[in-house]
Amino acid sequence: MARRKAAVEASVPRTSRKRDLPIDPYELPDENETPRRRRRLDATGATDEGTNGENVADHEDADPFPKPSPARRPGRPPKSTAAGPPNGQATTPSARKQRPPNETPIKLNGIDTPSKRNIADRSARKKSARAIIDRVIGGAVSDDEVEEGDIAREIYESSEDEEEEADERGRLDGDQEPTTPSKTPGRKRRVAARKRSPTPPRDLPAHEQYFYQNRPGLAKTSNNTLSSLSLLTHDEYFSIFRKLDNPHAADVEFLQSLHAESFPQWAFELSQGFTTCLYGYGSKRRLLHNFATYLSSQNPTHTIVIINGYVRTLTTRDILSTLTAALPSFSSPGTGGSSSGAGSNPSNTLQSLLSSLSTTTPQTTVTVLINSLDAPPLRKPATQTLLSQLASHPQIRLACTADTPDFPLLWDAGLRAAFNFLFHDCTTFVPFAPCELEVVDEVHELLGRKTRRVGGKEGVAFVLRSLPENARALFRLLVGEVLAAMEEGQQGEEVAVEYRMVYNKAVEEFICSSEMAFRTLLKEFHDHQIITSHKDSLGTELLSLPFRKEELESILEELMS
Amino acid sequence: MAQYEGDATQFEEDDHRAAFIFNRKADGDSAGQSTRPAKRRKVARPDARKPQQTSAVEPVFPPLFNGGESPAAARLRKELFETAWPILETRIKQVLREANRNTLDEVTSFLHQAAEAETGKITAGFIITGPSIASQDLLFEQLAERLCTASQPRFVRLRASEAPNLKVALKKIIQDATARAPDAGDDLNAEVSQGGRKFLNYDLEALHVFLQQQRQRQRQRQSRRVVVAFQDSEAFEGALLTDLITLFHSWRDRIQFDVLFGIATSVELFEARLLKSTARQLYGAQFDVVQANSVLESVIKSAVAGTHATLRIGPSLLQNLVERQHDQVAGIQVFISSLKYAYMCHFYANPLSVLLAGDGRMDQRLVQPEHIEAVRTLESFKAQVEAAVQAGQLNHAQSLIEDDEYLVAQILQQGQRRREDLLHLLRALHLVTSTGLATASFVELYILALSNGIDIDQSSGTIPLEDAVKRLNPGEFLALIGRLSDAIQNGSPELGLDGWEPDAEEFVGSLTDIQDEVEGLLERSKSNGTTLKSKYSAQSKVLRTTVVSQKVQLSQDTATLTEEDKAFTNAIDTLLGLLSQNLHCDPIANLFLHEVWVFDWKSPYRDVFVPRPGATFARALSRPHDYLACACCAKADGGLAPTLPTTAILYHLYFEAGALVNVADLWSAYYALVGEETDVGLDERSALVFFYRGLAELRMMGFVKQSRKKADHVAKLNARRAARNPAFDAKLSQMALKLAPLVQLTTGAVHPDFPRTLLAFWLLTDDQLDGLAHFYHQRTPCHWTEQYPCPVTWPPGLSLEEKRRKLGKFIGLRGCDTPIGALVAGEVVQQLQRSEEQIREEAERRARVQGNGSGDDVEEVRRKMGWYY
Repeated sequence: MARRKAAVEASVPRTSRKRDLPIDPYELPDENETPRRRRRLDATGATDEGTNGENVADHEDADPFPKPSPARRPGRPPKSTAAGPPNGQATTPSARKQRPPNETPIKLNGIDTPSKRNIADRSARKKSARAIIDRVIGGAVSDDEVEEGDIAREIYESSEDEEEEADERGRLDGDQEPTTPSKTPGRKRRVAARKRSPTPPRDLPAHEQYFYQNRPGLAKTSNNTLSSLSLLTHDEYFSIFRKLDNPHAADVEFLQSLHAESFPQWAFELSQGFTTCLYGYGSKRRLLHNFATYLSSQNPTHTIVIINGYVRTLTTRDILSTLTAALPSFSSPGTGGSSSGAGSNPSNTLQSLLSSLSTTTPQTTVTVLINSLDAPPLRKPATQTLLSQLASHPQIRLACTADTPDFPLLWDAGLRAAFNFLFHDCTTFVPFAPCELEVVDEVHELLGRKTRRVGGKEGVAFVLRSLPENARALFRLLVGEVLAAMEEGQQGEEVAVEYRMVYNKAVEEFICSSEMAFRTLLKEFHDHQIITSHKDSLGTELLSLPFRKEELESILEELMS
Repeated sequence: MAQYEGDATQFEEDDHRAAFIFNRKADGDSAGQSTRPAKRRKVARPDARKPQQTSAVEPVFPPLFNGGESPAAARLRKELFETAWPILETRIKQVLREANRNTLDEVTSFLHQAAEAETGKITAGFIITGPSIASQDLLFEQLAERLCTASQPRFVRLRASEAPNLKVALKKIIQDATARAPDAGDDLNAEVSQGGRKFLNYDLEALHVFLQQQRQRQRQRQSRRVVVAFQDSEAFEGALLTDLITLFHSWRDRIQFDVLFGIATSVELFEARLLKSTARQLYGAQFDVVQANSVLESVIKSAVAGTHATLRIGPSLLQNLVERQHDQVAGIQVFISSLKYAYMCHFYANPLSVLLAGDGRMDQRLVQPEHIEAVRTLESFKAQVEAAVQAGQLNHAQSLIEDDEYLVAQILQQGQRRREDLLHLLRALHLVTSTGLATASFVELYILALSNGIDIDQSSGTIPLEDAVKRLNPGEFLALIGRLSDAIQNGSPELGLDGWEPDAEEFVGSLTDIQDEVEGLLERSKSNGTTLKSKYSAQSKVLRTTVVSQKVQLSQDTATLTEEDKAFTNAIDTLLGLLSQNLHCDPIANLFLHEVWVFDWKSPYRDVFVPRPGATFARALSRPHDYLACACCAKADGGLAPTLPTTAILYHLYFEAGALVNVADLWSAYYALVGEETDVGLDERSALVFFYRGLAELRMMGFVKQSRKKADHVAKLNARRAARNPAFDAKLSQMALKLAPLVQLTTGAVHPDFPRTLLAFWLLTDDQLDGLAHFYHQRTPCHWTEQYPCPVTWPPGLSLEEKRRKLGKFIGLRGCDTPIGALVAGEVVQQLQRSEEQIREEAERRARVQGNGSGDDVEEVRRKMGWYY
């Protein structure tokens, strides 16, 4: 698999680099460079890069008239036409001509001023290019020169690499936000760009692997997308999921039983005022549930409260009200307290809860079991503080589970001391789905396909059918604008259009007469979640549509028809 | 899933509820029996009933020996734990309270004085608590207790997390100040809305009114004061503090606010964060809390080493714990918890711990055959038998091995032996510390004594005191004897040692003899006009200078020892003999049955208190076989196999990718592994379901996040977290720079330690550097040495950093040249700064020194430059 991927990675970016090459603002139009030489230069460069084996490269270098292998360069014709007229620059793509070279001040600020090194590099590059050409023309190569040539080519390639990258970044910066100079200074990336290799080396020592994983610079990935694959819907996911069986079910079950043997130990730890925290890969929901069963079988009078941290709607109020309900003796003063306004504040409620717990006789202990302590609803520091206050009360025993590897970051030393944690590795390998995890939603969100909205194109059509004519017109306008912006903008960027601009157009087209009316129309779209809006760093309001380009196109077609 | 069919409905319902009270009845019958493993049920049943009758709350210890332990023994172990720990806990609490008492006293009296002084400023106490915020809690709790009882002010504790802005902070202050009143429970409402006016809950007017009412009610008390304690004042925003203080100041005529700041760093740093005008409104004093180290030492003295401790924490564990306290800024609470956990582990999991029971509760019947068998497998039992055989006590040895009755009797005797041994050890240790000659701290000495015993012999001993004693002059010698007998008389309350004069009559007697003798000698030598010295302290050779015809003559004389001196020497020898005899202790590992009362396991402690979740997750995902022990994945061995759980496969693939992962490629790679053509043979949609699940889990665990850079791409999250800091990023990429290897001229080989990256270069050790220099012919010059591109000199006695620099120069790193420039510049600056006089002095000194022949300029420069060169 690795090999396959490597091949993909190796070939695809190369072509893109070649495409970028002529649009280099710093490309020095070499006076001596006739179009013919120029073409040759490109050709040698391309063949060099395409083949990794140096022998092959040398061989091709030696060939006075290198023929570009057709397989390697399928889409090259523009290049030769570009080289055709003497003023080659004139035919470069218009996009880059429109951009004056000094348009990106970021680059000048962010990257160090075009230092001596850059200039030296460039001239070195020029020299080495000339050296290569000379050698190609000259034909015969001695052994020494082979090595020299390699060096020359390396200089040529590396600086090319850098320029391409700088260029790319410059464009990125220029397009995105010209006001944020906070991009990491470019130089470091450039330096590191030289040693990038597409294939991941095997058997690296740990720190080397870390560096490999963290190597700076843009990662090169293929341009494949999942468009050919029809993604799963909820229904399909669940219908298939029910049919599948886990080949490891028995082993997982065995693992659970191993963990279950520690139940008395955990119970003992809880009784001694520690908080038991179970971590490790896999859902520990059932394990904790079994633990609760065990605890209640040991002592049926024991009150056990279970809190499912992964439930997205969980609030501290839920936790506190459940706790209150769990203490029958507390209910009377508790309600009194809340009516007097103290109940409005969770920490107050907690205080009165705890104090009533310590004053009631006979002493009751409550065991609180929390699933997924590190789940988003519980991650807020205030919630963790509240839980730690719970845990530090002598009559409340707390056991919890954590599902992410970074969970210790939730607590500072003070909180941790208050919790008084004992950690146990409870790797269960039980899938998190379906309770802790909404698999389909999660994946679609990850892929940037919005999920919690009306179902795609059909949904939009349905919504629009129920709206008045000018709403439909406005949406059509919006779709058109967004599509136009997509045409201009970059692949994969979140495309958004300015609110003000859309409003002006809408007024021009007599869709609405006032901003009020415009807002009302937009509100309708918002309610159906077919548009999203946000503000950029300057405070400009931007509108965008949570659809992919293809979807938008088909929506537009439908609207036009 | 199939196993849970029976109670699936119950689960489904519960799993989606946010918080609920566990319904034991629904589960107790069905799930309880079907899901719990058979073994647990068997052992849990008989015990489960008993405690319901007796003590219905606490869980019981499960029987050990594979369930063969009698319930009585298990119960006894529990009882033992329950009696052993609380004693220690109360002692520790005492120690902690004592430690803070001085601070508390000072703070309280300062507040009182300031209240009377009427400075017109806000009284501020700066309490330097040290870096651990965990231990601040205890301090402020005590402070609250103390202040509230002392003068009835309102005490409010603020933590930065509770007070993010002015409004919330004020709310909190008002709430706490009004709620703390013991009888204010339902008055609160009336007060806040008193006079038909309802105050906003962050209006200090409310507090003012409340305080006034309080005052009216209890006329005798002046309770206009509110003490606000900022526990972690560094964490507060400077602006917020400034606002609060200004506000307090303006309310000064109505409510007297006092503020206390818990400060982890220093008052200067804290003050720098406040506005000058604000700082001027404060009238403050600084208080230091007893530093964590000394608290730790006293806790160890009383709870670990003291006689009250039933269980001995073994030397290596203790060492580990202490190191952790020093290395990580963990509060003393962590240490106490670890201590408690050690007790818990021992009594919970060691069946032999039952033998620790006192004579009253321990009897023959409790000792089961399993206990005896277990004792016979102990290391210390084997050692004991071997020792007996070597000593010729064959009968004893045989009975130990064969006769159960005999062994039980021996075991029961051990209790007494153990106490004696420990007492002896502690006394010896106390004597050692009271000599004041040992350089190590008590904790170090204690750990040493446990692991290696005590032996004061200079050459071979663990605590070499011999030389120190020998060098004493008579005055010190007498003082030492005084201290020793003092220690014996008074014992050590910290350690829980009473005086043991009656037990050590002989020792004390000889001590007084020596004391008398030396005093007599001192008298006599005084009257003789000589100073008393011993053979050890007096230099045997004395340089004598005589001036003969303007020339200095040096001659050596052997000092003669007087009779008194000889007697004194004898006295010292006698004392040394006494000490080495009385202080001698065996390491605890040599004692028979020490396994019963020593706990020295590091592993549960480390895993339980310092978890490494990252490594755990990585292991589970990269080598699932370690956990699952399934037949199918055994051959994967950390590699990739199609039978692994989906998430594990994706995890492997994830690590092969760069910072951006193309999901389409990930999917095709995954499908190529498990798809229809492979052994696993999943069809596309099923594989996609698994893929979805795996990807969702990766996201949930925080490995990937959405990326907008490209369509259908996800970004790695975990690996790049540290690299988000640009400076760190730069450093990382610098450290990751590859270094081209250099070959040996003679063989063409590369040294295995040759640094592959810049990081590796910085991690080279001294040995490795020497090895590299030798390998590349730099250490011992030969004709190859100069053939390398940048040869260096490698004189012996270089420091590590010098070696590193030289090697860097050798392999051609930038910035590793000999720092001549810096040296010269430094010299020039120094010269410029000196006055003429100094220069002249320097020149004279040099001239003098040069006369002595050490005019090594380089040496001079090196000395000046300190570490740099």
